[in-house]
Amino acid sequence: MLSIRNLCARVEEKEILKGFSLEVKPGEVHAIMGPNGSGKSTLASVLAGREDYEVTSGEVIFEGKDLLALAPEDRAREGLFLAFQYPVEIPGVSITNFLKTAIAEQREYRGLPPMEPKEFLQMMREKKAVVEIDTNLTNRSVNEGFSGGEKKRNEIFQMAMLDPKLSILDETDSGLDIDALRVVATGVTRLKTPNNASIVITHYQRLLDYIVPDFVHVMYEGRIVKSGGKELALELEEKGYDWIKKELAAL
Amino acid sequence: MSETTEVMSLKEKLLADFSIRKTALLLENQVLRGFREKSAEAFAKLGFPGKKHEEYRYINFTSILSPEYSYSFSPSTSEIPSNVLENSLVLNDAFRVVLVNGHFSENASQLTGLTNGVVVESLASAIRRNDVHALSHLGTLANNEADAFIALNSALFVDGLFVYLPKGVQLEKPLQIIQVSTGDAQQITMPRILLVAESDTNAQIVHTQLSLASTSASFSNTVAEVLVEQNAFVQWTTLQAEENSASHVNTLEAHVKKGGNFSTVTISLGGQTLRNNLQIALDEAACEAHLYGYYHPTAGQTFDQHTLVDHRFPKCESNELYKGVIDADGTAVFNGKVYVRKDAQKTNAYQSNKNILLSEQATVNTKPQLEIYADDVKCSHGSSTGVLDPEQLFYLRSRGISVEKARALLLSAYAGEVLEKIPHEALREALADALAERI
Repeated sequence: MLSIRNLCARVEEKEILKGFSLEVKPGEVHAIMGPNGSGKSTLASVLAGREDYEVTSGEVIFEGKDLLALAPEDRAREGLFLAFQYPVEIPGVSITNFLKTAIAEQREYRGLPPMEPKEFLQMMREKKAVVEIDTNLTNRSVNEGFSGGEKKRNEIFQMAMLDPKLSILDETDSGLDIDALRVVATGVTRLKTPNNASIVITHYQRLLDYIVPDFVHVMYEGRIVKSGGKELALELEEKGYDWIKKELAAL
Repeated sequence: MSETTEVMSLKEKLLADFSIRKTALLLENQVLRGFREKSAEAFAKLGFPGKKHEEYRYINFTSILSPEYSYSFSPSTSEIPSNVLENSLVLNDAFRVVLVNGHFSENASQLTGLTNGVVVESLASAIRRNDVHALSHLGTLANNEADAFIALNSALFVDGLFVYLPKGVQLEKPLQIIQVSTGDAQQITMPRILLVAESDTNAQIVHTQLSLASTSASFSNTVAEVLVEQNAFVQWTTLQAEENSASHVNTLEAHVKKGGNFSTVTISLGGQTLRNNLQIALDEAACEAHLYGYYHPTAGQTFDQHTLVDHRFPKCESNELYKGVIDADGTAVFNGKVYVRKDAQKTNAYQSNKNILLSEQATVNTKPQLEIYADDVKCSHGSSTGVLDPEQLFYLRSRGISVEKARALLLSAYAGEVLEKIPHEALREALADALAERI
């Protein structure tokens, strides 16, 4: 589904991704862990198409297409979704109107007929239940005045509504209390199918208690330095990242 | 034996008009006699403001106000096309007054059902029948001596609208004033409006300014005077959607008495060069004013918003929010003054101006001013100018929304904060559509 090969990227003059490679197949959940500043969030931003980053080499193939050649909106229409670490507030744009517009544009791109209003409302109801989101929240402006937990729930709610092939969750656990974390993680797990995949970027292991990954990768200085199964996350939780740094230094 | 230069300036031409018509104008009413004379003198003294005039620095009327303009004392003979009244900015369920080049059109107006002694009539006819309320307030609310455009209107206006709400009356439906400028033969027009809302009254006014598509330029010099008596509530919406051939100086001056409330929404979407002078005097204690504005000049347009809120007495409140979007090589000016006098203790006054520039060629000059001479007040003001937030744009695009659609969503949300202050749903919708088309 996704194939990242030797990706190098920089912001302004600073090299952040230095030969990052990763293969993701349908049905898989990949966790990317790593210390602060290792480039995890940059990876998410580059994949979603944020303009501040310049890709200097490497390639990203998503469902057979050159992802890096696509505009951010076309990446989304192809089935990529980024759950933001810091979702921006958009006063005056209601969540309902925002999602209606997003779904209409995505469907048009895929050559699907417009969704019936009744069907849209039905889907809103179902997906709200998945992330245990308050009905009133969707009448409000996007993220405006939301608590940290509400913002993250809203990200997962959008993910549920847009039904992407590949979701990237950028530190979705940061700033969440344990209840919000459980709701968010349960939502993600319930949305999992054999045909979609997720990349879960996190600093801490605790999210992985709820979202069980098939693979855990350790990112350090802009690339993956170690990969393993879900037990690797536990090892990191126990021993921290220093032993990996030491292992690397010894090479 | 008057000297004639080769080309008379427009000022001289208008003063000559006044001299010629003087006898007729001064004969109309004893009370108005001195007022007309003084106004003409004030205009002669002030002249049209040039670039050096502090209050008109950013708007160039000298190049517009050429001697080719002429002023007509009689109503336009041309018919108003019926489709003007099919404009989406025209309310269906409202009392309607149509002013054509400033003259009250009996035929096009729709005033059946007015009760309780409410007067809505041609200003000329109110003067003819010596209406005591019209004559005692006309010219007392707008400051003649200070502004050339007000003085000119006062000297030369022939007709317009007079509205009187007797004590305790609530206007059942909004009153929409549709002011149309026909633009034939490069006319300058002088519409005059007077609204007297006695104590405990309630009224919603919509002042819609339109013009007919025309090859010749038109210039309107509108003056509206509003008196909001004790505990009266007047909501006044101004919609400006004239053609590119039309320019306008639109003055609205209100005086608010104890416990009164004057709330305005000004939407400037059309016209070539627009200047709004909105002045609100809080004339007694514990009254309030709300001023909301949205302006959206695009190629070749200049929209200038001048507001003044004069806090003269204690415990009054004013709230002001003006937002602009400036596209192409459009120019916007915001100059908002809040004046808190020495006696106006316990004043609450807030002012905010925000601008979004959509192009490199767009210009805005913003000057929020707060002058405070009292010491126990809560006042704030601020202004910001920027572009659409790239973070918000990226967020929308990352959900599959195109750049164009994302911009449109953000801009209509931005305008929405002002549009939602308009109490008429049909107008809010029509304006939202008009803006969507513009974006």
